[in-house]
Amino acid sequence: MLGAMTRHHLPSCQALIRIAAIACALAMSARLTGQAPAPANATAPAVDLSGYWTSVLHEDSMERGAGPEIADYGGFPVNEAARLFGLSYDPSRLTLRHHQCDGYVAPYQIRALGNARAWEERDANTHRLVAIHWFNQTFEGRRTIWMDGRPHPPAWAPHTWMGFSTGRFVGNALRVETTHLKQGWLRRNGLPESDQATTIEFFIRHGDRLTHTVVVNDPVYLSEPLVKTTDFYRQPIDPQNWLFPCDDGEQILGRAPDDVPNYLFGQNPFVKEYQDKHKIPLAGHLGGAPTMYPEIAARLESGADSALLRPAPGARPVSAAVDPEPRDGKVHVWPLRGNVYLLTGDEGNIVVQVGDEGPVVVDTGRGRLAKETVQAIRTLSDKPIQLIVNTSFHADRTGGNAALQASGDDPSVRGSFFSLQFRDAGVGATIMAHQNVSNRLVAAKAEPRAVPSDTYLEERRRTFHNGDSIELFWQRNAVTDGDSLVHFRRADVIVAGNVFTTTQYPFIDVANGGTIDGEIRALNDILARTVYAHEGEGGTIVVPGHGYVCDEHEVVEYRDMVVIIRDRIRAMMRAGATLAQIRAARPTADYDTRYGAVTGPWTTDQFVEAIHRTLTVK
Amino acid sequence: MPVRRFASAIVIALAVAAGGVGTGVSAQRGGPPGAPPSPRATAPIDLSGYWVSLITEDWRFRVVTPPKGDYTSVPLNPAGRKAADAWDPARDQAAGEACRAYGAGGVMRLPGRLRIEWQDERTLKIDTDAGSQTRLLTFGPSPSQGGDWQGSSIASWDRSQSVMGAGGGFFGPPASRGGSLKVVTTRMKPGYLRKNGVPYSGDAVITEYFDRLELPNGDALLVVSTEVVDPAYLTQPFWTSTHFRKQNDASGWSPTPCSAR
Repeated sequence: MLGAMTRHHLPSCQALIRIAAIACALAMSARLTGQAPAPANATAPAVDLSGYWTSVLHEDSMERGAGPEIADYGGFPVNEAARLFGLSYDPSRLTLRHHQCDGYVAPYQIRALGNARAWEERDANTHRLVAIHWFNQTFEGRRTIWMDGRPHPPAWAPHTWMGFSTGRFVGNALRVETTHLKQGWLRRNGLPESDQATTIEFFIRHGDRLTHTVVVNDPVYLSEPLVKTTDFYRQPIDPQNWLFPCDDGEQILGRAPDDVPNYLFGQNPFVKEYQDKHKIPLAGHLGGAPTMYPEIAARLESGADSALLRPAPGARPVSAAVDPEPRDGKVHVWPLRGNVYLLTGDEGNIVVQVGDEGPVVVDTGRGRLAKETVQAIRTLSDKPIQLIVNTSFHADRTGGNAALQASGDDPSVRGSFFSLQFRDAGVGATIMAHQNVSNRLVAAKAEPRAVPSDTYLEERRRTFHNGDSIELFWQRNAVTDGDSLVHFRRADVIVAGNVFTTTQYPFIDVANGGTIDGEIRALNDILARTVYAHEGEGGTIVVPGHGYVCDEHEVVEYRDMVVIIRDRIRAMMRAGATLAQIRAARPTADYDTRYGAVTGPWTTDQFVEAIHRTLTVK
Repeated sequence: MPVRRFASAIVIALAVAAGGVGTGVSAQRGGPPGAPPSPRATAPIDLSGYWVSLITEDWRFRVVTPPKGDYTSVPLNPAGRKAADAWDPARDQAAGEACRAYGAGGVMRLPGRLRIEWQDERTLKIDTDAGSQTRLLTFGPSPSQGGDWQGSSIASWDRSQSVMGAGGGFFGPPASRGGSLKVVTTRMKPGYLRKNGVPYSGDAVITEYFDRLELPNGDALLVVSTEVVDPAYLTQPFWTSTHFRKQNDASGWSPTPCSAR
């Protein structure tokens, strides 16, 4: 209530408005008379990107238009792995169904031809800047640059073409940091950018000109940061050209599912074509950090260096990738889709589905954090674990079996005729797996409660649980002889187990029935079940045995890698090479900086040997 | 309560307005005597030092001299193409015009290093080791009449502002932060945008923005955004952005003479 006293002592509303008007007039006059500006606000936008922009193709126009020439890497500070990856790349790979709609990663896409649109997202109440959105016509790439100070996601979060970006204003520029990019192109003639790349970008406006600078840091494929600058001009009105539809289809009929077009080292025919056309030696057009400095002009006179076409002998690179394991003694929960979650922390990814019938848990980790795993599941469901599924018998899949089984309960069998035969029916969760998992755990003298009791023998096991169809697909002789893929059909989440990881070469456990061709079949089986949502990403979620949450793009790149390395080893075996000679030839050279290891439980040499041992050469 | 809050806002508004007026009045009454601060003293960014070009774009056109007639991505008109097709490096060399590709329209794109320093309080000097050229960027009227490879360059600090001038006041935006060096160059001798004779005329107008970017590892980048407007040879403005990385010292600095080839 506003009392009479208060009314008496305050100016009337009319007077207040008058005062406000005077204040405004004074303020305006200060501005109009050109007096000193107000102090800079450190958080205020320094550049407004809002509007329509079109990229100018006065630089690198061939690359950004019709496409770059094959084997043209000059000026890119790539390392040996990237150079060899590019030389192995056959553009026919784009005819594969799972590559046809591949998008571009953010630092490459922003250089694509076409229109772009930027707009701000502001809080409806405070009008503070929440995000800047940037939409690129080519591949319909939509970026969100978060301006609200939120942190970047953890290492186990999904990677996307656009990555995860946060921005702030520095001087007269918008400065953007991006992580969580997918593997893509530094240049779309096969020169790769890895999923470990991060970028720093600057957007600066000079009137209707926008200059974008990106600095790409890629520990896997670059020996120095790559800097690119791109210009845009402002369009006064909507260009009305925004879509880039893409659907995949059959392009080459009858091709074998394990056929991934590639060139063996030293056999890319377009290297010579480029040299003949431009008269530039390999030391120039095959790139490397020296080629981006002025001194390269003198080095180009030194002639050809054919050694660049093959792996350097003796080198043994190891993975430069970020370890996605939290290793903080905690189990972390990451929502996947619907009622399905990822649990990470116990040195092996665990997937949990929850609902009225009680949780289903796929794999149980190493078991060192089993108590924390049970506690994490409790935060998702107050019901006891009903089902456990093992994708293989390996310790990182089954280590927590006993503890999780003991914490669970299977009411679906208690009170049934099973109770008449087995006193412990329904006591503890029921563990499901392929029969070979049970066999190998028994042979390894595993604790009885850790051994799957509900097993299957042939192609498929299925169950409907918590409102979703859950299917187990046996992967005959992949990592072992008992691997299963687990597909939550409604949630569309595939749990791949160790058939697919983002952390290492596939662990082909030859002693327990693993083979290279079975591994390739298993990866293709994943790809036979995935559907992307948009421009080759999203859609079906694939959870690797280790590493970050994926979709089909990561699987297809991994499949390509395994096939290509298999092809090289097979070619050498056909030529009579011994295992020692094959190892010395470094058939994994373009992937070692991403997956290689010289120590630990699964080294590059062991991987090569596993292929050599299980490959049938005709 | 709402009335009290409104009243407080009015008081603050008055204070802000009064402050603005007060500042302006004192400034109008003269402030410190003497000349206004020099361009060097008011520089929003530090461009001085040695910078090495990072040739990550148009590599084939910049690291080697492309063949005659290869003017990909340059928006030449028929006269421009005709001139480019007539390129004869031997003739240029013999005519003492080996520096045609080292003029203001082309030198920043050539592989090399820059040495940037203040020649005086209102003149920035850029030396290039490629072709041993010197560009003088003058704040205010240029003493140069042009007519040489580098022409006459007028420099200014470019800060974002509205058509009514710098920000401030009750409704105006806050003062801009940072800034760029803007350089407008005219009156050059006709030269080449690329070493293989892709031409610009003596009537071309070159506008450049120099921006300095700081990286987390301590490195700094210099980005030069260039526009060449030349109705004689171009169908549209020719835009490039060329980047350099800061060096801590003069390593690699290697002045070389112009070469027409």
